[in-house]
Amino acid sequence: MSEPSRQYFEDIEVGDEYLSPGRTVTETDIVAFAGLSGDYNVLHTDAEFMKSSIFGERIAHGLLGLAISSGLGTRAMARPYATLAFLGLRWRFKGPIKIGDTIKVRMKVTAKRETSKPDRGIVTVQRHVLNQRGEVVQEGDTELMIERRK
Amino acid sequence: MPVYFEDLKVGDGFDTPGRTITEADVVSYAALSGDHEPLDFTAEAAGLPPVVPDLMVMAITSGLGFRAPAETPQILAFMVFDLHMHLPVRVGDTIRCRIRVAGMRPMKDGGVVVERRQMVNQRGDVVQEAEYKLLVARRPRE
Repeated sequence: MSEPSRQYFEDIEVGDEYLSPGRTVTETDIVAFAGLSGDYNVLHTDAEFMKSSIFGERIAHGLLGLAISSGLGTRAMARPYATLAFLGLRWRFKGPIKIGDTIKVRMKVTAKRETSKPDRGIVTVQRHVLNQRGEVVQEGDTELMIERRK
Repeated sequence: MPVYFEDLKVGDGFDTPGRTITEADVVSYAALSGDHEPLDFTAEAAGLPPVVPDLMVMAITSGLGFRAPAETPQILAFMVFDLHMHLPVRVGDTIRCRIRVAGMRPMKDGGVVVERRQMVNQRGDVVQEAEYKLLVARRPRE
């Protein structure tokens, strides 16, 4: 059954764009992500060591930025995609996210293709994660398998 | 002894310990990321445990990568990765990671190390594969 609250493969057009609200990344987010992932690298957890680094302070885990941007992405769409599977992504970390930075995600559909199965298609969404100065701190392409209307 | 770029060579690597993914992990991850979108609506109906978010599997294996038998390289930055999902991971699965150095390229302040990572479940199935490009520090001069 197709649900009116979702966007199916047929509803999505190349060139569609979405912009999320912002979210301020806090020290708590970094500590929580260290605990969840088990990544206690000094880059994220040793304030004293990081004072003498090129960043001058602790920075967020790259994958925390990605996790937060995936959540922001769901808030950018009034009607979520009818996603069947997340197939993969190619991702680039371009700059640090520091405590207190506010990030948002800009998404654009760059490709659509059919598969051998008639009930689904593949959509490529380009994502840019921007900070409060408009700098791109992370970017990449995500490939999603999306259901077709029945 | 810290491990620097000069200490590594192609083929180096190790298999991490396993970690069982619990419902608590999934709830914590959803709260932290703000991504509450379930990916698989059919699991519950089929009587299967819930599917774990793919990016959470990657996050947990990134932490497992530090639980090495010896010291891990001095990473200056995580630059790029490619990730491919092969199979779903469900609550209760135990995931470990096979990490191997697949390539190296020296640079001015360190070197780029290409790591191939395979995320493997308790049945030995490769559930995800990734290629990481990491900037690793050079040994400081005396």
